[in-house]
Amino acid sequence: MDLSVKIGNVTFKNPVTVASGTWGLVEGYSSSSLGAVIPKTVTLYARQGNPPPRIVETPAGMVNAIGIENPGADAFIAGKLMEIKKIGVPVIASVSGNSDEEFQALTEKFNLAGVSALELNLSCPNLKHKTLVAQDPIAVKRVVALVKKLARMPVVAKLSPNVTDISVIAKAAEDAGADAVSLVNTFTAMVIDVHKRKSMIGNFTGGLSGPAIRPIAVAMVYKTAQTVKIPIIAMGGIMTAEDALQFIIAGATMVAVGTASFVNPETPVEVLEGIKEYMKKNKIKDIKELVGSIQGS
Amino acid sequence: MRDTFKIVSNEKLCPKFYKLCLEAKSIAQKAKPGQFVHIRVNAELEPFFRRPFSIHRANKYLEICYEVIGPGTKILAAKKPGENLDILGPLGNGFMLPPQGIKKVAIVAGGMGVAPFLALTDQLKKKYEIILLYGGRTKDHIFSLKAYKDNGCKIYISTDDGSVGTKGRVSELFSKIIPDASTYIYTCGPKPMIKAVQDFANKHQLKGQASLEEVMACGVGVCLGCATATIHGYKTVCHDGPVFELGEVVLGK
Ligand SMILES: Cc1cc2nc3c(=O)[nH]c(=O)nc-3n(C[C@H](O)[C@H](O)[C@H](O)COP(=O)(O)OP(=O)(O)OC[C@H]3O[C@@H](n4cnc5c(N)ncnc54)[C@H](O)[C@@H]3O)c2cc1C
Ligand SMILES: Cc1cc2nc3c(=O)[nH]c(=O)nc-3n(C[C@H](O)[C@H](O)[C@H](O)COP(=O)(O)O)c2cc1C
Ligand code: FES
Repeated sequence: MDLSVKIGNVTFKNPVTVASGTWGLVEGYSSSSLGAVIPKTVTLYARQGNPPPRIVETPAGMVNAIGIENPGADAFIAGKLMEIKKIGVPVIASVSGNSDEEFQALTEKFNLAGVSALELNLSCPNLKHKTLVAQDPIAVKRVVALVKKLARMPVVAKLSPNVTDISVIAKAAEDAGADAVSLVNTFTAMVIDVHKRKSMIGNFTGGLSGPAIRPIAVAMVYKTAQTVKIPIIAMGGIMTAEDALQFIIAGATMVAVGTASFVNPETPVEVLEGIKEYMKKNKIKDIKELVGSIQGS
Repeated sequence: MRDTFKIVSNEKLCPKFYKLCLEAKSIAQKAKPGQFVHIRVNAELEPFFRRPFSIHRANKYLEICYEVIGPGTKILAAKKPGENLDILGPLGNGFMLPPQGIKKVAIVAGGMGVAPFLALTDQLKKKYEIILLYGGRTKDHIFSLKAYKDNGCKIYISTDDGSVGTKGRVSELFSKIIPDASTYIYTCGPKPMIKAVQDFANKHQLKGQASLEEVMACGVGVCLGCATATIHGYKTVCHDGPVFELGEVVLGK
């Protein structure tokens, strides 16, 4: 059975990975069998994150506003990344910048860090505009192009679902040379405590994730797969192998488990095992046969 | 770390308080006082998160005391002996022993905040003189008293309605029974209570530890969702805590 998939010139032994910010080197979060791991986004300088409360439970999901709390690129590369690399699973590093210069500096740092790919978390401020980079195809094109010029590893553009048409943004990333796109990040969301008439999130708004968003994410992946030729890393509420298979059949080359790990840290491994079982049962020899195999009605 | 464990009993202590006993040797053997377990109360999607509960006691069985607050604890209260629960644990840092030279400790507990202290007194009883200051809503909301007595604790109670002990708040009781400067404090309960204890401790230069609560998703330091402010910046309650130096925590109004 061939489970291997390719992004740019890098081959991953299977299509299952973890979503940035939802995985860590912790007992119980087994990852040695996965195709890759994607650690939490790092920024050029350390960030302390948003004031609490940072999370709230919602129907079949959660809203978070962590604020990319991270130790900064240098500390991450010298510290945690070294530990992560010891697992022996390819690392897709996630980075985010506040400016073009920061994205450039991050790319140069990670060029020397020995990672398999670079994921650009584009849900970051788009200076001079009141949007996120991920909401502006021109900015996406610019950032991806400047990173591509420097990067020695494949570059993945991580897209926000908070747009009118995500496939337009994906196309902009592809045109700028991205080796893959990953989608979706969280949906802007809010929960209000009616007794206190206050937001349940310190940052006021946050991002919705978990099974609640899955059907929307599947539709976005499907539409994007119809629009771009580069591989898609799909995520959004995957709890089971069947959930992951929906994304693959819709056109995703890789799938990432996110929020589900908080409920069951073994979800990524269970998803991988379930995909194997499905392939065995349906006599599918190569996972690539499944990618985008959705039938017309 | 994660396993399913059988419920031995799940009894009502008072209308909204329950005590859950689990056959969970692997957790009970490892557990330190002040650690907690993260329980998936329902295999379906609702409620979505696990629910964190302090380890009340870890002997033959793992004991948890809980109050029915919302959907998660309601489902837990309906569980029957013989059923299984999916549990992550033991999690968190747990209480540290008092510093060298300390002979006397005061435990200040409000409501369900008393839960982690039985395990602590099990550990401290041999070497320390223990005062337990325990506040609850009414006499029905005060539990495990006999076990604390058996552990040699000197007990002071306060209730909101005065149905047992002194009427009023436990933090007020605390400031009346002024412990001498050599007393070491452990506290857990509602934030305003911990804040009052902290203010009092600052004024009298007392040291101690506080166990905090925040809404949790992962429970293991991965999501950074349970951040709490400290003088050293944000820390996670689940992994860096739930126990912090009393002087370190920054509590809002
Ligand atoms: C480290 C730790 C130890 C705890 N130990 C105990 C204990 O021994 N006994 C006990 O009765 N309770 C304890 N709690 C509180 C307990 O976790 C909540 O009462 C419980 O999660 C409520 O769930 P619910 O669905 O019934 O209520 P809801 O209010 O409907 O829960 C909604 C959400 O808020 C969270 N939540 C609600 N109250 C709290 C709280 N006080 N702290 C953290 N999250 C909360 C829930 O986990 C859930 O995510 C502890 C909390 C923490 C963080
Ligand atoms: C607590 C939390 C933290 C996250 N942190 C990041 C992050 O640092 N960078 C990023 O690109 N996405 C982050 N995400 C988004 C996830 O990677 C993922 O795109 C999203 O949650 C949807 O997938 P899911 O529903 O499976 O969780 C975070 C999500 C959660 C819930
Ligand atoms: S609950 Fe996830 S870091 Fe504490």
